[in-house]
Amino acid sequence: MAMIENRRRKSLIALTMVTPFVVTFSVFFLYPMLEMVRMSFTDAPLIGGGKWVGLDNYLKLFSDRLFTISLKNNAYFVALTVIPTTAIALLIALAISRLSGVRQTVVMSLFFLPYVLPVSVVTEIWAWMLDLQFGILQPVISLIAGKPVAVFKNPYWVMPMVAVVTIWWTNGFNVLLFIAGLRNIPAELYEAAALDGATTWQKFSRVTWPLLWPVTALVLTLQLILQLKIFDQIYLLSGGGPFNSSYVLLLKVYREAFQSNNGGYASAVATVLFVLIVVISVLQFQLLRIRRNA
Amino acid sequence: MRLIKTILLGTALSLAALPALARQDVIWWDFLSGGDGVRMKALINAFNQEHPDIQIKGTTLEWGVPFYTKVRTAAAVGEGPDVMTYHLSRAPLGLEEKVLSEITPKDLEEAGLKTGDFFEAPIKAATHDGKLYAVPFDIHALVLYYNADMLKGSPYLDSAGKLTGIKSMADFEAALAWLKNKGVPTPLTYQSGGDAGVWRVFYTLLAQQGGEFVTNGEVLAGDNAEKAAKVIDIMSNWREKGWAPEQAEYEASVALFSAGKSAFQLNGVWEVPTYKDLEKSGKLGFTWSAVEVPPFMGKRATWADSHAFAIPNEGDKTISGEKRAAVMKVIGWMEKHAIGWADAGHIPAYRPVTESAEYKGMQPNATYASLAEAAAFDPQTTITGVASPAYDAALNIIAPAIQGYMSGADAVQQIKDELQGKLK
Repeated sequence: MAMIENRRRKSLIALTMVTPFVVTFSVFFLYPMLEMVRMSFTDAPLIGGGKWVGLDNYLKLFSDRLFTISLKNNAYFVALTVIPTTAIALLIALAISRLSGVRQTVVMSLFFLPYVLPVSVVTEIWAWMLDLQFGILQPVISLIAGKPVAVFKNPYWVMPMVAVVTIWWTNGFNVLLFIAGLRNIPAELYEAAALDGATTWQKFSRVTWPLLWPVTALVLTLQLILQLKIFDQIYLLSGGGPFNSSYVLLLKVYREAFQSNNGGYASAVATVLFVLIVVISVLQFQLLRIRRNA
Repeated sequence: MRLIKTILLGTALSLAALPALARQDVIWWDFLSGGDGVRMKALINAFNQEHPDIQIKGTTLEWGVPFYTKVRTAAAVGEGPDVMTYHLSRAPLGLEEKVLSEITPKDLEEAGLKTGDFFEAPIKAATHDGKLYAVPFDIHALVLYYNADMLKGSPYLDSAGKLTGIKSMADFEAALAWLKNKGVPTPLTYQSGGDAGVWRVFYTLLAQQGGEFVTNGEVLAGDNAEKAAKVIDIMSNWREKGWAPEQAEYEASVALFSAGKSAFQLNGVWEVPTYKDLEKSGKLGFTWSAVEVPPFMGKRATWADSHAFAIPNEGDKTISGEKRAAVMKVIGWMEKHAIGWADAGHIPAYRPVTESAEYKGMQPNATYASLAEAAAFDPQTTITGVASPAYDAALNIIAPAIQGYMSGADAVQQIKDELQGKLK
């Protein structure tokens, strides 16, 4: 009897603790999301209801050139950021883990610092560093291109440079995850490997890499989700141009909804992006797990 | 407890007592920061001092899409302002969004205004299906600023030191070549790396050929496409020859002129106070003036827009009765005191002010005021106007085309592809 009562009390406590989250989640996420999906089947403006138009908005996507361009640009951006940022973060984490004490803390915070900055500050810093007339990085660009380049106004430079800015900005968090992963690897394993005469490379490829794989898979998946949602940096640095070379899906959602007053169509684009992120990230995470288990 | 009750009761009583004073608070939203904003705030303060019974409570919000999104969302739930500033080029989208409340003849009467007292172009831009939806406050347009000291010794300055002899593109380009030869780094400056600056110059040169951006629901139809391509090629050529700056942001484009690195500037009238102030404090170091953009391409035409006053349509909550009368009184007073606004460079849309002796004595304002007759407003569509898809296309397509990434003809084709689908 006492046990049942105990269990009931426990579930009551659990329920009270979960409720705030469930309520907030439902009100601020679940409901708007369902509303978005519903709206995507209507011709609603940004505010107010609209008529049910079935799949019209989705069919329209196929003939919308800008949608195809955005899709490609999103893919391009993911290619430019996800694996590079993960690799760089791993390298930095490996380097930092060789340091110790205060020195480690200082270097770690240096790498983490950009992550603390708001996006507007980050883009402002880089816009000035890369400014055509006054940018301190222009000599470096001149070395590569032969002359100063207004990078955010150049169709070839814009996406790679937004990727550089993004990696610089968000890398610290990945470094932190990797350091946590590295600390979880027991030191005895390295001692045993050393006793067996393993080289540094063997220690990395046979001990560190396999044991770090769950963290790597996590970082890759988080990055994929994050980078598919690219918006702020593009909006602030290039506005989608030039010639739509940095136009991405979220920018399309924003412009359709807030500039052109097409709430229904914007919802359709948003729904597609949402489904895309869910499918790709689940797929990727599963694939990465299979690799680990194999 | 008793204390709290007393306080509550006291508050309730004092709140109830307020209407007895019959003071109307008018909630006012605008997007005017910078030099414009200072002058507008001065007008608001003057009004409030003169009218103890009506008090304007002003809020300045961010210009462009943020302002218009906020207006729309606020109006939809009945939390909008009582009166707001509005760009007339944005009126078609405003009507589609149903955020504008009709200004009836009775309203105008309350304000002591008549549509006949205004310049025709802005009234036309504020009228839809025979109904007026905003009261124009000014006309602001592109003008040609010049640095008279730099032009000394050229045939383009008359004996009084005024600009002369520039009647066509050939004349203008000859002047630019003359300046470049003389060692002027960037003879002509404009915001070549931003949406608004590129659009204003582009639209002016298009309109000067009699070209139209949208005709019968088609973007750059027929020979308008060639005219537009020609404009882009001309702007491209300016950059290639080193006459105009590469990818200049707005502030940089203004700095080029004020620092004496450019002899000409194509920019809006709103920079007039900047140079006036610099001149007054002795920091400018050269003689300058501004004129209506000469008919470079044959016809007199200048890109223009208007700031106007509008009342948001909030359904059942749209202001009416005494509040509405108070708002109209505010609008009427502002129009009649628009000389304070002319000081910001803008041309008052209310003709009695523009025709007054006081305005005629303002320089260079009175000189370029002639452009009111040649004002070319953006077409009345939902894809043009402030912060519109057309502005995006200017930044996304025209600006890089000018940088040499694309020919005028190709750029025009891309503009058509981009914007046609958005035109409902």
